[in-house]
Amino acid sequence: MDVGTVALALGGLVLAATLLGFLHRATQGRARTISDARIVSIDGVSLGGRATLLQFSTEVCAPCKSTARVLDDLAARTEEVTHVDLDVTHRPELASRYRVLQTPTTLILDADGTVRARIGGAVRRDVVIAELQRVLAA
Amino acid sequence: MTAPSTPRGIDPRGPRFTAGVTAILFLVVIALALLGFDTAALVLAIYNAAVFLWSAVAGVARHPYGLFFKAVIRPRLKPPLELEDPTPPTFAQGVGLFVTVIGIVLFVPFGSIALIVAGAAAFLAAFLNSVFAYCLGCQIYLLLARVGVLGRKGAATA
Repeated sequence: MDVGTVALALGGLVLAATLLGFLHRATQGRARTISDARIVSIDGVSLGGRATLLQFSTEVCAPCKSTARVLDDLAARTEEVTHVDLDVTHRPELASRYRVLQTPTTLILDADGTVRARIGGAVRRDVVIAELQRVLAA
Repeated sequence: MTAPSTPRGIDPRGPRFTAGVTAILFLVVIALALLGFDTAALVLAIYNAAVFLWSAVAGVARHPYGLFFKAVIRPRLKPPLELEDPTPPTFAQGVGLFVTVIGIVLFVPFGSIALIVAGAAAFLAAFLNSVFAYCLGCQIYLLLARVGVLGRKGAATA
């Protein structure tokens, strides 16, 4: 292969990687409303009176820390809303049960513990507030 | 909460600098392989694997490019807003090692195409990590744990 073709191939690779990066970034922190709602019940986890922010984390997840800070803060400011940070590093069966593929993943549960929304990736404060208000208003 | 036995925090820009250097080195591996310099490509891939092995075992805080960042670049920057747990980037070094070793092993039967494919995968992860702060552990740890490769007690991180 000549040098020009190789340069073109490498340029294409860098361009593809950049597009993938923007694509990935766009999917992170989006909230998805759950229609086939199920009730969450996990041993040792007590839910909030009106809503629960249930976060799945692992030890190898850097953005889990910042997500935990945001959710902790929102729970502290909102009456009867609890933040639960569940470390599933050694409990992959819990990740399977709730179909968690990436961390952080945040489930927003209503008063009954029914899953109302799901956020994949690091959370954005405004997105969580909007979803939480929707759940609390229902 | 998480972080049961967290070692001391590191400057999060260190691993991103390290990933940038790694990404460039994998572009060089691919270029050498495409140009027909198979031996040189193989030697550089083995070098990359050795660096991955070192920092996956010794921890990313002892990564040679990370030490360069700490000694030469970091003093010229503002202090970081916060420190990070070194466990996630150390896990990513283990994944990088795995992918690179696969490329090196498959070089024997398949030749330079193995280095090109494995090099492209390693480049992609390192580039996304460096430029977009992509977190490899966030995306693949649970996939591996759910199929039983990782995550049972005592075998947490690579």
